[in-house]
Amino acid sequence: MPSDLDKQIEQLKRCEPISETQVKELCIKAREILVEEGNVQYVDAPVTICGDIHGQFFDLLELFKVGRFCPDANYLFMGDFVDRGFYSVETFLLLLAFKVRYPDRITLIRGNHESRQITQVYGFYDECQRKYGSANVWRYCCEVFDYLALAAVVDGRVFCVHGGLSPNVETVDQIRAIDRKQEVPHDGAMCDLLWSDPDDIKGWGLSPRGAGFLFGSDIVKSFSHTNRIDLIARAHQLAMEGYKLMFDRMIVTVWSAPNYCYRCGNVASILELDENLQQEYKVFQHAPTDTRSIPAKRPPPQYFL
Amino acid sequence: MEPTASAKAMDKDAAIRSTDSDAAQARLSAVNKGYFPDDIFIQHLVQRARFVPPRPPLINIGTFVRSTAIDALVNAWIHLSPQVQIVSLGAGSDTRYFRLANAGKLPSIAHYVELDFPENTSRKAAAIFRNDVLGRHVLDRTIHQGGMELRSKHYTLLPVDLRGPPSSTLGPLLASGTLQRSIPTLFISECVFVYMPSSASNAIVRWFAESFDIVGGLVYEMFGLTDSFGTVMRSNLMSRNVDLPGVDAYPTLSSQSTRFTHEQFSHATSLTLKTIRQKYISPSELDRIATLEMLDEIEELELVLEHYVISWGVKVAPDSQAECAAFLAWGLKFEESE
Repeated sequence: MPSDLDKQIEQLKRCEPISETQVKELCIKAREILVEEGNVQYVDAPVTICGDIHGQFFDLLELFKVGRFCPDANYLFMGDFVDRGFYSVETFLLLLAFKVRYPDRITLIRGNHESRQITQVYGFYDECQRKYGSANVWRYCCEVFDYLALAAVVDGRVFCVHGGLSPNVETVDQIRAIDRKQEVPHDGAMCDLLWSDPDDIKGWGLSPRGAGFLFGSDIVKSFSHTNRIDLIARAHQLAMEGYKLMFDRMIVTVWSAPNYCYRCGNVASILELDENLQQEYKVFQHAPTDTRSIPAKRPPPQYFL
Repeated sequence: MEPTASAKAMDKDAAIRSTDSDAAQARLSAVNKGYFPDDIFIQHLVQRARFVPPRPPLINIGTFVRSTAIDALVNAWIHLSPQVQIVSLGAGSDTRYFRLANAGKLPSIAHYVELDFPENTSRKAAAIFRNDVLGRHVLDRTIHQGGMELRSKHYTLLPVDLRGPPSSTLGPLLASGTLQRSIPTLFISECVFVYMPSSASNAIVRWFAESFDIVGGLVYEMFGLTDSFGTVMRSNLMSRNVDLPGVDAYPTLSSQSTRFTHEQFSHATSLTLKTIRQKYISPSELDRIATLEMLDEIEELELVLEHYVISWGVKVAPDSQAECAAFLAWGLKFEESE
């Protein structure tokens, strides 16, 4: 007999939202699991590392086709599950249902879009209103966002974070000291981890995003040396080829939303780390465009005409 | 039943005309967010303006960059001579004439001509008649062709299908004395040439080069759609029935400039909106718009902006290069903000 949760997973896999009551229960259970996790989750290889998804549900199914469905593979998602795509609700709830059903086979860390403020601008709030007729589901999900880990370390050697480094964080241990159970602040270490970007500069620079910092290869080198890290894996920036290695392969951007916003024309990738932490990047395309991948009544991608 | 060929063609034209409401709504969205404090006019040119949903920050910012750069080029042209003429091709719901009037620039403008499909000109003429905010800047107006055409001493709104031969679409402007050969004349093509075959747009550029002693041209449109972003863009636009028959003729920045230099223009410059945002918008303006709304990512913005180009060219008589030095120096001012 499949459990209620298994039934919900099957329903979500068909891109059908579960009921508001079910969302509430799922979010309570998810918080009970996440509250036990540290700010920095320790993960064992082999693991498949994924970048931004942004509500592109049918492309997430493509990702699972390439990387096998949970729990057949061990997953680490580096945030930005919601906003921009048409199916943030189904995307986040499916990942959350996997987390509750197989807590040791999937790790979810927080992206800058897992925030009350950002989701009200970039679509998740509106989508919840549209699909449930109230903001309750959005509120339940935001309460889960506050409990998501801020970073992960694979076998002690691969540091994973949504955005990047912070001038306030020299050691991984300093991240453990953050009180993470709150809305993403506008500045400080927690904000920087979710917002910063690597760039071809020396030291630290101002970020054009208005939050977090730009950091150069010297910063990456020193952080990796101090913390005995071989690779920093992060997401947060569109990579047209699906991933982008920088700074002598010390840092990689993994991007998992193909044809981002149904407009960018990029491919996506996932990073498979085997038991020896050997990297394999698996590139994949967006799901075939049909009536389901882009709902008929949604506005088409916008251009300047 | 398959639609007939002519029904399909009409459908395509409707799709092209609809790009004007799209652009006007995008501008309204940017105005409502505070990007253009001087535009009190657009709300009167968008139908059911109160119900138009806001556009995402990326679209607002792109609209701002495009419009700010084109405004700068137009204003610079006006300052080059005591009297200039401006011809806006496919002007649609553009508010530039009214903004220039409001800013007290009319004494420098001998004539401002707007051309578009009759469906668009009649809508605009009606708005001018209905609304005093618009109408007060065209007080001496008369209406012609059943409401499709509006004329006044300094402003003319004409229904024209610009894909026809320029001798018949544009020629009458000279023959009637609306425009004078001797007055420096600027033509503006904002997302217009791309919707027609390059043979038609080249003929328009050539007509301007041959019809005026001093001519400036300003073209804004999408380009370089041969990469994966461009492929997706074409297919997304095709799903709205918007075809871009002119987009392949000038696929690179340098080829965009040759659309001028191959038609007797003295020189031309082309820049992407990405470069313009980075280097040709004043830092104080960029700081101001950064406070209007949150833009969470730069990569997507730059990817979109690098597929739009603004190019401008100048033609003066070969033997008057020295006295026309100011015209030859016309262009965007480098700000180096980033």
